[in-house]
Amino acid sequence: MVFQNLRPYFCASIENSNKMMLSVKDLHARIGEKEILKGINLEVRAGEVHAIMGPNGSGKSTLASVLAGREDYEVTSGSVDFLGKDLLDLAPEERAAEGLFLAFQYPVEIPGVSTTNFMKSAVNEIRKYRGEEAMDAVQFLKMFKEKMAYVNIDQSLLSRALNEGFSGGEKKRNEIFQMAVLEPKLAILDETDSGLDIDALRIVAEGVNKLKSPDNATIVVTHYQRLLDYIIPDFVHVLYKGKIVKSGTKDLALELEERGYDWIISALD
Amino acid sequence: MLHSDTKNTLVNLSELSSASSESLTNFMEMGFPTNKWEEWKYASLKSFNEISWRWTPETFTHAVAVPAFQQSLTVQNLNGQTSILGDLPEGLTCVPLNQFLNQNAGFKALYEKRNPLLDQNSLYHLNDAFNQNPFVFCVHKGTPLDISIVHQFILEAQAEPAVIQGKIILYLEEGASLTWIEQQASKGSNSTLFSNYALEIWLSEQAHLTLYKDQDLGNGVSLVDHTFIYQAANSQVDMFTFSINGTFVRNNLHFYIEGPNVVSNLNGLYVPGEGQLMDNHSVVDHRMPHSESNELYKGVLLGNATGVFNGKIFVRKDAQKTNAFQSCKNVLASDRATMNTKPQLEIWADDVKCSHGTTTGQLSEEALFYMRSRGISADAARTLLLLAFVQQVIDKVEIISLRDYLSAKIIQKIEQSWEA
Ligand SMILES: Nc1ncnc2c1ncn2[C@@H]1O[C@H](COP(=O)(O)OP(=O)(O)OP(=O)(O)O)[C@@H](O)[C@H]1O
Ligand SMILES: [Mg+2]
Repeated sequence: MVFQNLRPYFCASIENSNKMMLSVKDLHARIGEKEILKGINLEVRAGEVHAIMGPNGSGKSTLASVLAGREDYEVTSGSVDFLGKDLLDLAPEERAAEGLFLAFQYPVEIPGVSTTNFMKSAVNEIRKYRGEEAMDAVQFLKMFKEKMAYVNIDQSLLSRALNEGFSGGEKKRNEIFQMAVLEPKLAILDETDSGLDIDALRIVAEGVNKLKSPDNATIVVTHYQRLLDYIIPDFVHVLYKGKIVKSGTKDLALELEERGYDWIISALD
Repeated sequence: MLHSDTKNTLVNLSELSSASSESLTNFMEMGFPTNKWEEWKYASLKSFNEISWRWTPETFTHAVAVPAFQQSLTVQNLNGQTSILGDLPEGLTCVPLNQFLNQNAGFKALYEKRNPLLDQNSLYHLNDAFNQNPFVFCVHKGTPLDISIVHQFILEAQAEPAVIQGKIILYLEEGASLTWIEQQASKGSNSTLFSNYALEIWLSEQAHLTLYKDQDLGNGVSLVDHTFIYQAANSQVDMFTFSINGTFVRNNLHFYIEGPNVVSNLNGLYVPGEGQLMDNHSVVDHRMPHSESNELYKGVLLGNATGVFNGKIFVRKDAQKTNAFQSCKNVLASDRATMNTKPQLEIWADDVKCSHGTTTGQLSEEALFYMRSRGISADAARTLLLLAFVQQVIDKVEIISLRDYLSAKIIQKIEQSWEA
């Protein structure tokens, strides 16, 4: 009995690292008449980093959007369990409050709303959902300052209308700033590396790494091995025509860099 | 002429000895506007012809709360009865028109040569019939009033449908400046009330007027506003029309630019909700050269609301070097809302710069999803986007307490519309 009571303290991190965060089973989704996801299976545990690669148009962003709750897509079959909850049953904002975060491949312009005001609303809405007290202006100031350091982002950018007139790289950096503020349990980074210069890539990747813990997990969608030199994946998956057709370790990414996708695709046909 | 049956409902009007017969005849010949009149196509008051109105409503005297805008004097009008709460500051007088015309030759000259455009405006005549001797507030030469005047025009429901006709005249002498905050509000249950209101303003040379209209009436209340502003050389008007609530709100706003180097800034923000109609008809009449007018109107249409914008800009032959700019932007916050926009530019001078643009759109689904993916609820996301949209107009309000007061009311209205 005594041993059992103590167990959570001693084994917290080991237990968490085994803890299932996301379990996607046979997920099918379509837009209009077009089926895009054709049976995705994916399991992500706490502490893991998964990379999803694959040719243009294979469905990577669609998978990310479906997980985040975009309503344009209709899930026709399959299930998604996120930390014991039926993810597909939750509204996008509820998914966020449960700890899911999507860094958009194409971050959207929000006219007239500054990043700081936007994030204040987001944080306090999530806190309300979780039954926590709202944060005040002083607390926000302190917290934002701390998080800005993660991605080396400037206050002047955060005061401007969100993403309006931001450069490609500024948009991506801002996505990771938002991630740092929200501290998600599962972050999906959709091509966060594209459009970043070499220094920015390193800064953003280091930011992501700093946010990593045994209690959370990351899915990175990328076309390039480059990013995976910084954010080292535990698993690499290849998505092709709406299915994961191959999974492996970080070596798979190296092999793809060298050989492209043809050898995988031809093995399928 | 009116239909004979319609006329019957108005017949008690002609028996009113207090009303001016000439203006009344002008009104009686036309009656209330119907959608057959081009200028009232979307904002018909046809049904008003059938109502048996009480033309001289009972006044009430009990106190009405005054919002706390810093450094202001309140002029209260309760169902047509005017009282001034406090002492007029130095440099400001309030005198009935007939008396003022005898006192002030400068004003008399301007008043007598007034030449407003009154096509299809029977309601101006109706108002005039009941307001032969309105109060004239005069800001004396060179006086920059350091307080603002809050004019509360408050209607109280009657047992039967009632028309309340108010009128105020403002006269700014040379170099005078004035901030005037007009609030149209109502008390009492949802009975039919119609406020037919006129505000006529003359600015002498170098005068500066900041004019705010806060139109926030109960459901069941209709308002037709006639605001005619005559500007002499080098004068400036910064004008704001906030139409926040009311079943039917129609603004007839006229600017007559009668001297060079005049600046006329027209700003408007309207948020009609379920079952409401808000209509802004403006005329900017450039009669003299070297002047500029800027119109910025924004609308958020909630529920099944209807909005109307008609912006006429006339640039007369003598008005060379005129700059006239007009913009009207709208968001339909629901797919049941409709907006009708019509810019109308008529230019007889050749050396002018005019531009106009109207847009009507919906909230971006992409933006809403992005916001929701960060944990912001759909309603909060919509509210945030709409507030960002109207901010441009609200930010121009220089009195911070007024700005906060207006934006709180607008937020509340938008948020309530999601609950419905
Ligand atoms: N709204 C839509 N309407 C029609 N087709 C769509 C829509 N959204 C996505 N698709 C299609 O779904 C397929 C998968 O798109 P998706 O954006 O998921 O690809 P991706 O793997 O992220 O590609 P990339 O590497 O270029 O980012 C593409 O063929 C795309 O054209
Ligand atoms: Mg993509």
